[in-house]
Amino acid sequence: MERKKDFEALYRKNLELTKKQVREAVNEDLLIIQAISSVGDIDKTANLLSKRLREWFALYNPELEHRVKEHEEFVKLVIAQNEKKADDSMGKSFEKEDFGQILSLAGHINSLYELRQQYFNYLEKILKKYCPSVLAITGPIIGAKLFGHAGSLRKLAVLPSSTIQLLGAEKALFRHLQTRGRAKSPKHGILSQHPVMGKVKFKEHGKAARVLADKISLAARIDYFKGQYAGDKLRKEIEEKFGKWE
Amino acid sequence: MGVRKSKIFEVYESDDFRKRKLYTANLVPGKKAYGENIAVQDGIEYREWDAGSSKLASLILNGCTNTGIRNGDVVLYLGSSTGTTVSHVSDIVGKEGFVFALDVAPRVMRDLVFMCEDRKNIAPILADANKPDSFKDRVMEADVLYQDIAQKNQVEIFLKNVKAFLKKGGYALLAVKARNIDVTRNPKDIFRQVRAELESHLTIIDFRTLDPYQRDHCMFVCKRQ
Ligand SMILES: C[S@@+](CC[C@H](N)C(=O)[O-])C[C@H]1O[C@@H](n2cnc3c(N)ncnc32)[C@H](O)[C@@H]1O
Repeated sequence: MERKKDFEALYRKNLELTKKQVREAVNEDLLIIQAISSVGDIDKTANLLSKRLREWFALYNPELEHRVKEHEEFVKLVIAQNEKKADDSMGKSFEKEDFGQILSLAGHINSLYELRQQYFNYLEKILKKYCPSVLAITGPIIGAKLFGHAGSLRKLAVLPSSTIQLLGAEKALFRHLQTRGRAKSPKHGILSQHPVMGKVKFKEHGKAARVLADKISLAARIDYFKGQYAGDKLRKEIEEKFGKWE
Repeated sequence: MGVRKSKIFEVYESDDFRKRKLYTANLVPGKKAYGENIAVQDGIEYREWDAGSSKLASLILNGCTNTGIRNGDVVLYLGSSTGTTVSHVSDIVGKEGFVFALDVAPRVMRDLVFMCEDRKNIAPILADANKPDSFKDRVMEADVLYQDIAQKNQVEIFLKNVKAFLKKGGYALLAVKARNIDVTRNPKDIFRQVRAELESHLTIIDFRTLDPYQRDHCMFVCKRQ
C-alpha cells in the first residue's frame, strides 16, 4: 500500500513538472522552424497546383502557357486576363463557366504566393532581432533553413563549420560513408542555394561553400553569445572574394 | 481467430499459426493508445503489439522467453518516444506496477503526457538519460531498466543508470542500433564490442538480433548481480 501511495505522488509530481517543461521549451527557434517548414510546404503545394493550372489553361491558350515559364508570373497573367489569344491559337474557346474554374484555381495559387511573402517578411523580422549577423550573410530563407537542420541557434553556434557546410546534404554524406567513398562526398547542402553560388565557377563551389560556412559559423557564435553585430563586416569579406549579391 | 497466453508473462498471442501476432490486455478498455488493432475475447480487450514498431515485441517474436518484465514491476524506461512500446509495458506491469517513461525531446513528450492522462501507471519525465542526477528525485528504484535511445555513448549511459536505479537482481534490457554507434562498421562487430562492455558489469542472459522486424538492431537482456 505504501508503494501505491509513492506511485501516486510521483505520478502527479512528474505529470505537473513535465507539462511545465514542455511549455517552457517553446521558444524563438521553434517559431522559426515552423515558419520555414511552412514556406517549404507552400513551395511544394504551389508548384504542384501551378503544374495543374498550366495543363488546364493550355487547353484554352497553349501559346501563353508555352511562352511564360515562371510559375508565379504565369499565375498572375492568368488572373489579369488581358492577354489576347492568337487568331490561329491551338486553344479552344471556353464557356464562361469552364474558364471560371481555371480562374478560381489561379486565385488560390496566388494566395499561396502572398502567404509565402508574409512568412518571408515575418522570418526576416524575427531573424533580424534574434540573429542579425547570420541574417546579413544568409537572408531569411537560407538562414531559417540552417536553423531547421541544426535544430536551434545554440546548436548552429556550436557546430563545426565543416558540418554547417554540409547541412541539408545528410543523405549524400551517408551514402558517401556507407560506400566507403565510392559515392562522391558532397561539397555543400543548403548553402548550394546561396546567391553567391551563382557568381562563381562550378569548380569554385566547394571553396565558396567553405568560406560561407566559416562566416556563418562565426556569425552564429556572435549572435548566440549576444556579441556585437558583425553582419556587414562578414558579408563584405565574402563579397571581396566572390563578388556582391542581392 | 482467438487470443491465448504466450510463454511470456502477461503477453498474449494469436492462435493463427500462419502469422504469429502479439497482444497485451488493455489496461484502459475502450481506449486505444496509438491506433493499434483491438481483439476482444471473453469480454477482455487485447491490443495488438506490432513488432515492426516495437523492438521489445520483435525480441519476443524472435524467441526470447524471459524479458524480465512482470506484473507488479517498477520499470524505468529510457527513450520512451511517444510511448508505443511503453503502453504495452504499462499493460504488462498492470495496476500494481509502475512505469517511469523518460525522453529528452519535448515534442514526443506532448503525446506521452496525453497517454499518461489515460494510463495512471505511467509517469512522463522530460530529461536527459545521460544525466541521472537531474531526474533522481523523480523516479524510484526499479525492478527493470529498459533503454532504447539513439546515442553514440548509449552503453555508458545504460551502465550509469543501472548503477543509479536498478535494484540488485533486477533486469536490464538494452536495444542497440548499430548505425548510432558507427555508420561505417559492420553491425556484428559493433554488437560484439557492446557485449564485451556489458559483460564486465552485468550477466547477459539473452541476446538477439531483431531482423527482420528492425534491420541492424539487437537487444541484450541482462541481470544485475
Ligand atoms: C528509437 S526512439 C525510441 C522508441 C521507443 N522505445 C518505442 O519502442 O516506442 C529513441 C528515443 O530516444 C530519445 N533519446 C535520445 N537521446 C536521449 C537521451 N540522451 N535521453 C533521453 N532520451 C533520448 C529520442 O528523443 C527518441 O525519442
